[in-house]
Amino acid sequence: MKEYRFIGKSTPRKDALDIVTGRTKFINDLTVPNMLYGKVLRSPLPHALIKNIDTGEAMRLPGVKAVLTYKDVPDWMGGLPLHVRILDSKVRYVGDAVALVAAETEDIGEEALRLIKVEYESLPAVYDVEEAIQPGAPQLYEQFPGNVLPQGIPAFGPHSLRELVIGDLEKGREEADFIVEGSYAYENIPNPLPPESPGAIAAWEGTDTLNVWSASQGPHMIKVSLQRRMGSINLHSMGTPVGASYGSKFMSWQYVLPAAALAKATDRPVKFCYGRSEHLAAFTVRLGSRIHGEVGIKKNGEVTFLSGDWLVNTGAFSETSQAMVAVGCGEVQLMLRCPNWSLKPKVVCTNRTASGQIRGFGGQELECALLPLLTMAMEKADIDPVNFFKRNYVKPGDGYYWRDGNWWVCRGIDYTKAMEQGAVRFGWKDKWKGWLKPSSVKGVKRRGIGVGVHGNADVGEDVSEAYVRLDPNGTATIYSGLAEHGTGQRSNICKMVAEILQLPLDRVSVTPNDSRVNPYEMGPVGSRGTYAIGSAVIAAAEDAKRQLFEQIAPKFAVKPEDLETEDGMVYVKGKPGTGIPWIKGMDYDRTVMGRGRFEPDFALPNFMMIFTEVEVDTETGKVELLRVVGATDVGQIIDPPGIVNQLNGCLGSAGIDSALFEETVIDTQLGRIMNPNMIDYKWRTFAELPEMEHVILETPIPSHRFHAIGVGEIATSPGPSAILMAVTNALGVRIHDYPLTPDKVLSALGKINTAKRRVK
Amino acid sequence: MKPFAHTSAGSVEEAVQLLAKYEGKAKLNAGGTDLLGVLKDRVLPDYPEAIINIKTIPGLNTIEECEEGISIGALTTLVDIITSPLIEKYCPLLKEAAVTVAFPQIRNIATIGGNLCQDTRCWYYRYPDKIGGMIDCFRKGGKRCPAVSGENQYHALMGAKQCFAVCPSDTAIALTALGATFTAVGAESIRTLPVNEFYTPLGNVLTPGEMITAIYIPKPSPVAGQKFLKFTLRKPIDFAIVSVASIITLDQGICTGARIVLGAVAHTPVRVLKAEEFLKGKELSEEIVAEAAEFALAKAKPLSKNAYKLEIAKTLVKRAVRGDSS
Repeated sequence: MKEYRFIGKSTPRKDALDIVTGRTKFINDLTVPNMLYGKVLRSPLPHALIKNIDTGEAMRLPGVKAVLTYKDVPDWMGGLPLHVRILDSKVRYVGDAVALVAAETEDIGEEALRLIKVEYESLPAVYDVEEAIQPGAPQLYEQFPGNVLPQGIPAFGPHSLRELVIGDLEKGREEADFIVEGSYAYENIPNPLPPESPGAIAAWEGTDTLNVWSASQGPHMIKVSLQRRMGSINLHSMGTPVGASYGSKFMSWQYVLPAAALAKATDRPVKFCYGRSEHLAAFTVRLGSRIHGEVGIKKNGEVTFLSGDWLVNTGAFSETSQAMVAVGCGEVQLMLRCPNWSLKPKVVCTNRTASGQIRGFGGQELECALLPLLTMAMEKADIDPVNFFKRNYVKPGDGYYWRDGNWWVCRGIDYTKAMEQGAVRFGWKDKWKGWLKPSSVKGVKRRGIGVGVHGNADVGEDVSEAYVRLDPNGTATIYSGLAEHGTGQRSNICKMVAEILQLPLDRVSVTPNDSRVNPYEMGPVGSRGTYAIGSAVIAAAEDAKRQLFEQIAPKFAVKPEDLETEDGMVYVKGKPGTGIPWIKGMDYDRTVMGRGRFEPDFALPNFMMIFTEVEVDTETGKVELLRVVGATDVGQIIDPPGIVNQLNGCLGSAGIDSALFEETVIDTQLGRIMNPNMIDYKWRTFAELPEMEHVILETPIPSHRFHAIGVGEIATSPGPSAILMAVTNALGVRIHDYPLTPDKVLSALGKINTAKRRVK
Repeated sequence: MKPFAHTSAGSVEEAVQLLAKYEGKAKLNAGGTDLLGVLKDRVLPDYPEAIINIKTIPGLNTIEECEEGISIGALTTLVDIITSPLIEKYCPLLKEAAVTVAFPQIRNIATIGGNLCQDTRCWYYRYPDKIGGMIDCFRKGGKRCPAVSGENQYHALMGAKQCFAVCPSDTAIALTALGATFTAVGAESIRTLPVNEFYTPLGNVLTPGEMITAIYIPKPSPVAGQKFLKFTLRKPIDFAIVSVASIITLDQGICTGARIVLGAVAHTPVRVLKAEEFLKGKELSEEIVAEAAEFALAKAKPLSKNAYKLEIAKTLVKRAVRGDSS
């Protein structure tokens, strides 16, 4: 294999020093001259009509510049299809926006909220996905009878995947040696909880140009998606460094549109940043996923059919849930080769804070609910889960329906080797004692192991564009709308360009994230950073290099392809003495601009397997995570510490820990989220980490310049179900109600009466 | 945060005079680790007019040995308690409790007086005003406890009539087991009471004009084994789901003295006299210890979602009496 200068080498992340020394300016550090602060009055009721709203006293408070209600906000909409107003005469969850205030200071804004008088007519509320679809259930939207949202998403094309119907169920039934059925759920609606809460600053120029600064994971998509919802304005989107997102801060209208409405009303810039409690109680959580399903399996572990109703609880509205259903239906086919499917999803609204876009994007939610069913089938067939996944994970040549509704044939990596090496590193063979058997018992402590698998063919989703500009002084500038959301990807694209142009890393930089400067960029979502975004940037760098050689070739009287460049010098290949600096070839008054574009390609699934070992205290019900081994194959490592950090990120952000203690607790009598703070929302701290190691293989992918595919968002996805399996095996009894807090463990052991199932 | 007056007191006299002047509309601030959260989230219907800084009072942050016991100034930080050789020597139980509080940054500024006086963590009581308004309850002068029929997984197992919130203080559990007293000073009063009489069903015994100045711990028997066990979901940060403090004296394998206190099961530390009596004069076999644990929780009446706390409490009693490390 070719030895690279930067790719696969540990290099300092370009933004690291600024981040660790506090110089990085996050959205809430920014101010714009003459800026006001936006605040939101939030509903005390889960479902109500606003009968009267009096803003007079709030308006009279000195320092208050605007108070907006549903009567006077612009008619800009969110949701898919568009169904959510910035403010409405109806509120649909505790924390729903009732009024907006713009004030000279945050304190004045908060005081003003307390002076707004609202009379509500309370309506019955519904939280449970199945209660919501019953006749007579409270209706959230007139246009969605039965609280069921229409399926499909125009952005995925006319045939976007709405359900999974393949083959012949009856045939699958006949061929099965065992059939299991049951209802399982993953609906503890964890919050991915990026350290930086969402926020934006909006400022108008005239009446038809809006400048937005935001901590979005996809700032260019704010321009693309919001400007047409605002009456054909021109939106300039400036992305700030993102204090993590985990998908959630891709969703933007909830903070951009209120800021823009207040800015319009006051004719001044307005900053609106969520506080921590608002972030936990009134932004977005994972979608709730429940499945009533049936699976057939042969004695050899071959799955003959899978059928089921997949009930998706999206909370008060949906911005991306139908998209997550489409991707989830795709991803489940990667995890599970099966000829006969009938999976019927339903996206349902309920009276709690909305579900949003979160890493794992539908697949994690579907598979976490499905895995108890699959493990029951594996137990019947008495097959080791590692062998089951080896047999059933998608292989090159296998086909699947993807989100666009088209049939794609896998031309990616065979991940069997990664699974085998992961199992060896974990010591699976020694610890695996069979289904419902602990790997060891010591007094009241029982240990168990579990494994999960997940893949995503979104590494090649959507379009990316990039430019690379070469300046005569031997520097390269990447024009990309790629947000830095914590993974180091902006630094990594510099490594890719430095490798192609053979420039020192400090001579390559990325433009500020500004839609006026940079071309189209979907953003680092769907694990597409390395493959899709990387490929667009690489193509731009190759194009720039080609143009550079075309310009300089006549000076050497050779063909462009006879040239090479290193450290800002151009040489005739194989003649080191011929070198001239770029400036001599280009002159000081010329730049070269290369262009690159990536076109969608869903034929390359990536892969993640997670092995876990837990210890359960059978007297207290406490589950302790002892060890995690991740296994993946990334084609080619771009940045070694970067990928290790990505894999270490499998615990939090609504990942593994959503099977241990992360959950959003709702009091269904009040409709309130009871744990909107960092003490009661159980989030792992750095003081309590398990042993972690990873197997990262590098099987080259031919269609990427550096043969890389990456791993991206899926580092969390197989974790929760692996924990469920591990605890089930440790206890010797089935337990499947995420998260596995002591009450549920003691209940499964029969030590306390089974608590009523928590309804979300 | 809403504006308030801020005054630094130079002495206990000055602090209590200020409290009297504001007639119940002032709050004392020592470490501030609890008070600032309460103010920021606006969890209470009344907002203080003034904050009186007592960190400026000299001499209240010492740990001193006298003939009969240990005296701890109310402004002593938890980290000073954890690192004190006197505490280590006479009451390691208190150190074990203090080290489980929050995380190092908090322990560096939080005081022992503040740890006793902190408000309950009941999530209904603490619900932030900005997400639809604070939640009314008995403890705020209201007429209901929403936890009784709601999300009561962290609430009281025993002794509750109106409010089912639990005492959040870890040091109070240890101090009760140690038989400690506290001194409260007002503008015209000074009184000393046992720590286990500090908490009342809806708060504590301090009048709005009083402050805690000192805690006194009688020296325990040097041969007694002390233990503090705290069950949480996460090791750092969390408040107790259940805790147990115990002081067990053994003479040739026979229990001659036992003090067992349960934490986070009621509004106050709960000393379980029946279990203590039961153990006295007995050899601590598995069966005897298990029976003592049953006695300790005999009065527990779980709510809809906290029966698991009962099992955990029994387990912790057994483990504490046996002297297990976790």
